[in-house]
Amino acid sequence: MGPRAEPSRPAAVEVSAMSDDDETAKADGGTASQSETVEDERYEEHPLEWDEPDNNDKAPDERDSVSHRTEKYDDRKLVTGQAKYTADYEARYPDLAYAAVVRSEIPHGRVTDIDTSAAEAMDGVDAVLTPESDAVPDTKYTSAGQSYPEPSPWDMRVLNEHVRYIGDPIAAVAAEDRSTATAAVEAIEVSYEEDDYVTDPEDAFDEDAPQLFEDGEVENEIVGHDYDRNRMAHIGGELGDVDAALDGDTHVHETEWETIRQSHANVEKHTSLAYTDEDDRHVLITSTQVPNHTRRQLAHLFDIPIRDIRVTKPRVGGGFGGKQAMVVEPIPLALSLATDRPVLYEASREEEFYAMRSRHPMKVRARTAVTDDGDIEAIDLYALSNTGAYGSHGMTVAGNVGSKPMPLYSKVPNARFEADIVHTNTPQTGAMRGYGAPQGTLALEGHLDEVARDLDLDPIEFRRRHHMEVGDLDEIAGMMGGEGANRRIRSCGLDECIERGKDAIGYDDLEQPDDDHLHRGVGMALSAQGTGVAGDELGAAQIMMNEDGSFHLQVGGVDIGTGADTAFLQIAAEVLGCDEDDIIVKSSDTDVTPFDYGAYASSTTYISGMAVKKAAEDAKERILDWGSKLLDEPVEALETGGGTVYSETSGDSVTLEEIGYEAAYGDEEREHILGKGTHCTEESPPPFAAQFADVTVDETTGEFEVHKLVVAVDCGVAINPGMAEGQIEGANHMSYEMAVSEGITLDDEGRAEVADFDEYGLPSATETPPIESILVETHEPTGPFGAKSVAEVPTNTVPPALSNAIRDAVGVRIREMPITAEKIEAKLDEREARLGDL
Amino acid sequence: MEIELEINGVEQTVEASKSDSLLDVLRRNGYTGAKRGCDTGACGFCTVHVDGEPVKSCVEPVTKVRDASVETIEGLGEQDDLHPVQQAFVDNTALQCGFCIPGMIMRATALLETNPDPTEQEVREALSDNLCRCTGYKKIVEAVLDAAERMDGGTVAADGGKAFEGNERVANSTECAVNDCDCMEGGQ
Repeated sequence: MGPRAEPSRPAAVEVSAMSDDDETAKADGGTASQSETVEDERYEEHPLEWDEPDNNDKAPDERDSVSHRTEKYDDRKLVTGQAKYTADYEARYPDLAYAAVVRSEIPHGRVTDIDTSAAEAMDGVDAVLTPESDAVPDTKYTSAGQSYPEPSPWDMRVLNEHVRYIGDPIAAVAAEDRSTATAAVEAIEVSYEEDDYVTDPEDAFDEDAPQLFEDGEVENEIVGHDYDRNRMAHIGGELGDVDAALDGDTHVHETEWETIRQSHANVEKHTSLAYTDEDDRHVLITSTQVPNHTRRQLAHLFDIPIRDIRVTKPRVGGGFGGKQAMVVEPIPLALSLATDRPVLYEASREEEFYAMRSRHPMKVRARTAVTDDGDIEAIDLYALSNTGAYGSHGMTVAGNVGSKPMPLYSKVPNARFEADIVHTNTPQTGAMRGYGAPQGTLALEGHLDEVARDLDLDPIEFRRRHHMEVGDLDEIAGMMGGEGANRRIRSCGLDECIERGKDAIGYDDLEQPDDDHLHRGVGMALSAQGTGVAGDELGAAQIMMNEDGSFHLQVGGVDIGTGADTAFLQIAAEVLGCDEDDIIVKSSDTDVTPFDYGAYASSTTYISGMAVKKAAEDAKERILDWGSKLLDEPVEALETGGGTVYSETSGDSVTLEEIGYEAAYGDEEREHILGKGTHCTEESPPPFAAQFADVTVDETTGEFEVHKLVVAVDCGVAINPGMAEGQIEGANHMSYEMAVSEGITLDDEGRAEVADFDEYGLPSATETPPIESILVETHEPTGPFGAKSVAEVPTNTVPPALSNAIRDAVGVRIREMPITAEKIEAKLDEREARLGDL
Repeated sequence: MEIELEINGVEQTVEASKSDSLLDVLRRNGYTGAKRGCDTGACGFCTVHVDGEPVKSCVEPVTKVRDASVETIEGLGEQDDLHPVQQAFVDNTALQCGFCIPGMIMRATALLETNPDPTEQEVREALSDNLCRCTGYKKIVEAVLDAAERMDGGTVAADGGKAFEGNERVANSTECAVNDCDCMEGGQ
C-alpha cells in the first residue's frame, strides 16, 4: 500500500444550528447560527429587520398551495407530446422557408469575396444574405441578454466580413426546405485573407499577440478594456489590506485551478421563427430566456420601434444561460424581411457546439493568509477568463467568480478579487448556470480544503469557523461596485446543510474497502449564489378575474422548463385562496404579458414571483371589497380560502364565482376585477449549499468511482419541493459533468473538436452517480412566502468536492478539470518518485 | 414516393422522399411529439416504437418501415387519460423542460413490456441511450420504477392510470407532510 494522507475527522462538532435560542429561531426559521450584530451607520442602511407583511410568513400548516408538490402546470402536455416548442410551429406556416448559415472556416481574417452565384441559381433558394445585403443590419451589438445598457461590449455584427473564430457567421440562406438550405450553404464559396490568430488566453494577453479588435472598433466598451492586448475588461475590488495580511505573520498558501469549456448542451437547439403579420408587425416565436431584452435588442439592430416587434416564447427545451442571449434571432428576421416569408432557423447540433455559446474557461488563483490558530486573515482571488472571440457576459461572469463564493467567508477582514477577461480566436462564451460561481467555487473550496489539511485542521470545522451567518453584513459582494450590492444576511441554513449532508453521506462512519489498493474518501464544499441581480431586476404580472371565479394570470417571467409557471400559480393561489386549477397562466409574450427582465441570475421565483404575489394581492383587495358588499360585513373581517370569501366573525361565506358574476353583471355597480404587480429590489439574498462526494480510488490505476453525491441546499421556503429537488439534482448532474468531462475541446486553430452528443461528455443515466438532494428550509423575509433561489447554487460544488474527496482518499490533488484517472495516476506516480528520491 | 405504414393503430399512406428518416415523415404528418435533437441517433429524443421495438427515428430510413407498425407518444395516452408511465412521470416531478421526455417515455414503456419488474440498474441501462440535461435522471428513474409497480406485471393497459388517482396516485405515498391534502408532499 502506498503512502496516503490520513483524513482527519472531528470527534464532535458544536452545532449552533440546533441552538434553541429564540432570537435565532425567529430570524430565519430556526436553522442558522447568528452573528453578534454591530449597530453602526451601515446597520441603519442594511438593517436585519425587514418590514415583512404578515401574509408572507405563513406557518407550514397554514400553506394551502405553497410548499406542496403541486403537479407541474405543463406536465400533461409534455408527457403526451402535445406541448409546442418553436420547431413544432412549422406546420402552422405553410409558406415557411428554412434558414442555414455560412460560418467562418478560419480562426481569424477578412472575407475578401463571397461567391453566392451557384447558391442563388439553385431551385428553391429564396434569398442569400451577405454582410453587404440591405436586409442585414451592420449595427454593432452584443448578443448578451442583459438589461439596458448591457454591461457587455457592442462588438458583434449579425454577418461578418472580419471573422474572429471558426464559426463566425458570414452569410445566410433561406430556402424551401432544410436540405436545399444546407446545399445552398455548401455551394457558397468564401475567400479569405487570413490573419494571425491566438487561441491561448495567456498568449493572447500580450501586446505582441495578434489583436482581435482595433482601437475604436468596439462600442459600449467595458471598464478596464485594453484591446492592444486583447483585454475586453479588467475588474477588481478590495476590502481591508490584503497585501499587509499576506506579508504578516501568517501561513500563506497559493493554488491555481483550471476549469473546462462546458457546453450548455441544451436538448432543444437554438431555434427561432420570424414572420411579419397582417398588421405589418414583426413576430418572433423563439426559444429564449429573455423575450423583453430580445425585443429591445432587435429594435436597436433593425431600427424598428419596440412596439412593432413581438417576441413570444413557447415551451423551451432548456436554457441554462445559453439562451440568455439573442444568439440566432436576427438571422431569421433578416431573412424574413428579405423574402417576405416566415423563416425558421434551427441550429444544427454541430453548430450548438462550435457556434453558439459555452461556459468561460478560466484559470483562477487563490491565495490566503491564515494564522497559527486557523483564523483566515485574507482571501485573494485572481481569475484569467477566456471570453473567446466576443465579449458577451465577459465582465459580469468574471465578476461573479469573486462576488458569489467569497461572501461565504464574509467574516474574513481582508478580501480582494481581480480578473482579466481576454479575447482569443475561439468560440463564443456567454452566460451559463452558475455564471462564474463554479469557477470561483472550485478555486476557493479546493484551496481552503488544501489549507486545512496542510495546517492539520478539519476541513469542515475550518469552514465552520468562518462561514456566513444570519446578521452578517456582506460587503464582499459589493466590493467591486455594480453587480451585487452590500447586503444584510437574513436567512442562512449553512450549519444545517452541513450537518444533514454529513449524515446523508455517512461522514463519520465511512468504511474502507477490503482491498489494500482501494481507498475511499469524502470531500466537501460549500457554496453561495445570489437571488437575482441586486438592484438590477424588474418583473411584473397582472391577474384578471373571470365571472366564474377563475383567473387569468399574465406574467412576463420566463419558464424555460424550470416549472416557473407552476411556482407562479402556487403563489397566486396561495394569496387568492383558490385552487391552482382555477388559474390559467400566460407567460412571456411581449404583446400580452407585462414586462420582465427574463429568466436568469436565479431571479424568476424571487422577482417575477413577488410580482405575481403583488398582483394577486391587488386583485384580492377588490375581491374582498365585493365580498364585503355581498356579505354586508366589513372588509377587515373577511379572508379568502377554499374558493370563497368568508367571514372570520360570522362564518358566512360567498363563493368567488358569486363574486365574479356580481362584479361583472351586477345591477348597480360593475367592475372587472384586475390586479397588477411590479417588483424590483436592491436585495439579492444568497441561497447556500453544502456538497459531499463519496469516492473510491484505485491507487494502482488512478481509476475512481463516485458512489454518491449529496447536496443540501438552503433555498428559503421551497415553493414546490418536488420541483426544487429536480433543480438541485439537475444542477448537480451538470456540476458533476464539469468535474469529470472534457467539455468542448479545441484544436490548435480553435476549432471545436466536438460536433455531436457522441463526442461530448454529458453523463448518461448509467454514468451519473446517485444524487441525493436535501432541502433545508429557512425563511427569507424579502422573498415571496420566504423563498430565495435554488437552481444555480448546486451547479458550483461538485468539482471542488470531488477534488477534495480524491485528496482525502489517496492524498493527491487535482486542480485542473476534468478529474481523470490519468491525472490521478500521474500525481500518484509523481509522489512515489519523490518519496523514492528521499 | 408513397409509403404505407400504421401509425398508432391507423393505417396510413404518407408522402416521403428516399432520403427521409422516419422522424422527418412523422413530424411532417403532425406527430411532433418525437423531437429532433441531433439527427445522428446520439440523443434519443426521437425514440418511437417500430413493431414494438424502441427505435431512434432520426436514423431510421423511412423506406425501412414500409408496412411496419409505428407507435409514437401521441398514441400512448391523453392529457386527461394518461398511460401509467406518463402518470408516474407527472406524479414524480420527473420532468422539467420535457423535450427529452416523449423519447424517454417510449423507451421506458418498451423496457416495461419486456421487463415488467426491472431493478434500478436495469432502468438506468435501458435509459442510457436517452440523454436528459435537466434532471440528473434521478426522478426519471424513480418514475419508471414507480410505473413498474403501478402496472404490476404489465397487465394494466392504457387506461390513463385511472386506478391510481387520489390517495393511490403515488405508490409509496404517505400523508402530506405539510397539510392534509392530496398533493404529493411526503410522497418520496
